[in-house]
Amino acid sequence: MSGQKTSSFLVSAAIFLLLEVAALVLLHSRSTAQNIWFNRASHRTMAFLWGGGEALRTQFKMEELNEELQAENARLQERLRAYELREQAQEEQDHVAAGASSIYRYIPATVVKMSRNRVHNYIILNKGSEDGVQPQSGIISDRGVVGIVEAVDKHYAYGLTLMNPEMSVGARLGSSEQVAPLSWDGVGTARAVVRDLPPHYNNVPGDTVRTSGFSIFFPPDIPIGVTGDSRLVDGSTRQVDVLLFQDFSTLRYVTVVQNLARTEITALEAEGEGDR
Amino acid sequence: MKASTLKFILLFAAQLILWNYCNFSQYLIIVFLPAMLLCLPIDRGVIRVMILAFLLGLAADFFETGQLGLTSLALVPVAAIRRWVIQLVFGNELLARGEDLSFRRQGLAKFVTSILILTSVFLLIYLWVDSAGMYPLGFLALKYGISLLVSTVVSLAIAFLLLEESVAKWN
Repeated sequence: MSGQKTSSFLVSAAIFLLLEVAALVLLHSRSTAQNIWFNRASHRTMAFLWGGGEALRTQFKMEELNEELQAENARLQERLRAYELREQAQEEQDHVAAGASSIYRYIPATVVKMSRNRVHNYIILNKGSEDGVQPQSGIISDRGVVGIVEAVDKHYAYGLTLMNPEMSVGARLGSSEQVAPLSWDGVGTARAVVRDLPPHYNNVPGDTVRTSGFSIFFPPDIPIGVTGDSRLVDGSTRQVDVLLFQDFSTLRYVTVVQNLARTEITALEAEGEGDR
Repeated sequence: MKASTLKFILLFAAQLILWNYCNFSQYLIIVFLPAMLLCLPIDRGVIRVMILAFLLGLAADFFETGQLGLTSLALVPVAAIRRWVIQLVFGNELLARGEDLSFRRQGLAKFVTSILILTSVFLLIYLWVDSAGMYPLGFLALKYGISLLVSTVVSLAIAFLLLEESVAKWN
């Protein structure tokens, strides 16, 4: 009896569905508004079902996707590194081209390590004796004087930066052609002073300070910075503040300047001193 | 042809005329087809009533030049739950005895309840599908409420007409 009821119910349900579907088909085919509505409802349902399925599938493939992403990330990092190296090489070449001169040899280098917060600060470059770097070479950047190479290894060079109280560079002030030693003021990473100027020197703040070319380390006319205030020291000399173009806190690319006539000049200098 | 059948056909024609010529308001649709289905003899099986509802709906839509299939779509569920509503409102005893419905024996309240349930199901489907998502819910709710109220009152009168014979019989 119960089985008969169940089968009767199932038949009724099937016929009900059949009739409803038939009505829907009729409605769908005959009425534009209902047609659009059904289509919209159908698309929404399909989107929900397929979207849900896709989300579920993605969830199961998460580990695989992560691995793919990691691999892609590694590939991209490799390519980025290649671009960075190419750019670095280009910048180093630019440094060379900017200051080409016949008696100087220029070797592009990148700063490997550098101290800024000591009294005596140093710099380590990624070029050494195998690259042609020799001790007593100048180190410059596109923004001015950086330091002097003190020692070289096969692949690295060690130098003292301008941020050393003992180090001084021959500087020419503005259009006055006045030459005096420039050294670090011992305080900031972008400040220096020009000392031993005559007391009558008329300082014009904002004048450009360049290398004099009188030293064996640096070529002439490399811009170093601009003049600031000046003051009389001990009533006998004038001292001028210089705001350096090169801020040592942002230094990355440099050029080692090797004076090809250095040996000849120093020998001549020694000979002259010996004569005296 | 039996008088009850003729009466049924005439009332169906009345429903068509009402839909075709009597457009009272955008907020009102008068329907008594569910009540007509309710008043069919109790011993009519669910499947037969469903098929009849489908055909009635088709005929209604065809003669009304409306959306073919819409009335069938709403009327077939009414036919499907008719027996369940009778069982719920009028009780199992009526079904067991195979008696026809009667205003005198079952009382007005049970008719009102059953007609309300069946008409509300019909209107719910009919208005929802007919709107095709183009009308706001507020409008549909108001139309549904007004139509249900008026249709129930009209349906009671129709049911009374259809069951007149059984009233006479029980007298």
